[in-house]
Amino acid sequence: MTVHPAILRARRRDLARGLLWISPWLVGFALFMLAPAVMSLRYSLADYTLLEPPVFIGLANYRELLGDRMFRIAVQNTLLFGAFSVIGTTLLSVLIAVLLEQRLRGAALVRAVVFAPTLVPIVSACVTWGWLFNAKFGLINSALAAVGIDGPDWLGTRAMAMPSLILMSFWVIGTSLMVCSAALKDVPVSLYEAADLDGVPAWRRFWNVTLPMISPAVMFNAMMSLIWSLQVFAPPQIMTRGGPENSTLVYSMYVYSNAFVYGRMGYACALAWVQLLVTLVLAALLLLTGRRFVYYRAA
Amino acid sequence: MPPAPPTDPSREPTISRRGALGVLGAGAAAAVILPRRPRSRAGIPAGRTVIDYWEKWTGPEGDAVQRLVDGFNASQGRIWVRRIPVSDIMSKAMVAISGGDPPDVVGLFSYNVPQFAESKAALALDEFGGAGGGEGGRIDPELYIPAVRRLLSHEGRQWAAVSSVYNLALYYNRAQFRKAGMDPDRPPRTISELDAAAERLMVVGDVGQIEHAGFLQNLPAWWPYFWPIMFGGRLYDPVANRAILTDDATVAAYSWVQSYPRRYGAGATSEFGNVYARSFHSPQDPFSSGACSMIVQGPWIANFLRRYSPEFDYGAAPVPVADHLYDPQKPTGMLEADVLVIPRGCRHPEEAFEFVRHTQWQEVQERLCLEHCKSSPLREVSPGFMESHPNRYVRVHDAISKSPAVEILPQTRVWQPYADMLVGAFDAIWRGADVKPALRTVETRAQALMDQAALRRRQREARG
Repeated sequence: MTVHPAILRARRRDLARGLLWISPWLVGFALFMLAPAVMSLRYSLADYTLLEPPVFIGLANYRELLGDRMFRIAVQNTLLFGAFSVIGTTLLSVLIAVLLEQRLRGAALVRAVVFAPTLVPIVSACVTWGWLFNAKFGLINSALAAVGIDGPDWLGTRAMAMPSLILMSFWVIGTSLMVCSAALKDVPVSLYEAADLDGVPAWRRFWNVTLPMISPAVMFNAMMSLIWSLQVFAPPQIMTRGGPENSTLVYSMYVYSNAFVYGRMGYACALAWVQLLVTLVLAALLLLTGRRFVYYRAA
Repeated sequence: MPPAPPTDPSREPTISRRGALGVLGAGAAAAVILPRRPRSRAGIPAGRTVIDYWEKWTGPEGDAVQRLVDGFNASQGRIWVRRIPVSDIMSKAMVAISGGDPPDVVGLFSYNVPQFAESKAALALDEFGGAGGGEGGRIDPELYIPAVRRLLSHEGRQWAAVSSVYNLALYYNRAQFRKAGMDPDRPPRTISELDAAAERLMVVGDVGQIEHAGFLQNLPAWWPYFWPIMFGGRLYDPVANRAILTDDATVAAYSWVQSYPRRYGAGATSEFGNVYARSFHSPQDPFSSGACSMIVQGPWIANFLRRYSPEFDYGAAPVPVADHLYDPQKPTGMLEADVLVIPRGCRHPEEAFEFVRHTQWQEVQERLCLEHCKSSPLREVSPGFMESHPNRYVRVHDAISKSPAVEILPQTRVWQPYADMLVGAFDAIWRGADVKPALRTVETRAQALMDQAALRRRQREARG
């Protein structure tokens, strides 16, 4: 089938006009995302100190990764943080959103309070949490002491430092909560009415009606949480500096140190590309797994 | 309320091409017409060459540096120095130099000198200035204390000028010494004396918690690489380019470090250190609040003690050393410095050098030393400098700086990762790891980095 030349011209004109209007974004993307990504791939194959011209060394940086103990520690810590943070924030946001939908008094206030921490600058939040976790002067241990519990040294021991950071990550579930709340409001009332008519108990109603209907939102939250947690940087950098004994050294900290503290930008670029690949693989796995559980109404 | 009328899509507000181009054109015209003298040049006298000076200091120390800058700006009519406080300065300097837009002067740390020198990211200061040390002349390296000269140089050339220097000394609470039945005028000189004093001052609670510490090496845990010096360890052999961590002196040093958590409990000592980790130089400072009787600190502590605890009765002495190393004429310590560097590619190197040279005059240096509460990096000090110094123990620091036994940090470009690995090893040793294997792990990795850096340097030089 041939298309009339006038239609073709109109389509081209539309395309050109569309491209013109999105050109600020295209230029920004090309300059600040695409070009740095391509350059970092090039630098990952070079010894680049930032202060000297890069020297091509092939895959040496990637080979070095295999024998780098700190790299392994950073990967383990990041995966540990990611696993617990993703599961925790996702479940907690669903739980609180469902509770807030029960038309309880003060629900709006609770929603505002839960959302408020997302507005706090991350550095301020980390400094504040650092003090909250202080074993002697911290509010948490003071509260525990008031009920006769001797609180732990939250950030000072291998056993507690990472769990403390994971616990802190739950603090910023406001955005996930809002997404879940919006999804809950979108569940057709008729489905609940039908379930009531059938005498379905509350738990099964949640499991068979609510959860499937909000599953796309849950998947979205899990995906965002996964991406964020694999890039986590500020909380361990500010609160523990990676210690004690490197137990909170996360991947982004190691990338940053190599790039901007040790002057090993080439190695840092290799680390960053591995981070991207790992994130892509885990995101793909999450999406594939999600296919079995996520229900899309439009589909 | 009547329902809203249906919207006619054809009547929705649109922007025409002419309108859009008009807005863009107006914006461009405004950019051309409006005056373009940046706000950052406000207040700068016309005709001056402006040089940008990045400096890490903020707060009272930053104000002192600003007074130094103001003094220079007022002293002549050709150059205007603009101080720009910059955090994380080394990283940002690297990026700026790499991007070809560095400041004219940057305040780094002395351990950055090898990295910047080897990569030619800094300009050698011995290239500037004419003969002689006066106005328009070069900076005479003989002005400095020998150890300071080593800090500023790399491979025979001077790459930096000094901003301020410091070394660490043992500060102790005289009142608590008296209370424990010890002579407040006789601080510990050797490791065994330090251990004995720490033991007498330590107070442990019912369940093993530390109520009061005599001395703990993790309080603060800022210099985990410092302790080998007290046992004669060196960390690095510059001639052979070798990391040294498993020699007898260094192993003895970290074994001594480990003896404290072994004696008082790793958990209890760690917790005590962590509680105060964020409290230094504040009203809750463990030393000034009396929670810890002896502490290794720099001379600046006097400024904070004066501010937060003006009545505090304290003393200072050179850090104790292994018994066989004690020599009152050769106090041991480690010297570090904040340095001024002229980056490669800066716009006004000659003017930058003129400012840097100004900062090295004895009078200017001493004024900054007094305000930063540090000893002088220069061999000669003016009469009255010691007497008017805010740290009444400045002579202790001065003696350490001038001591033949004073050490400087390893002059290798991989010092930063080496030091970071030592932080992890220190933590592990504190919690009971075997000392020598923990040190060997760091030594092996640090050596690999040193060898790699040397290899890459040879490759670069071969390429010209």
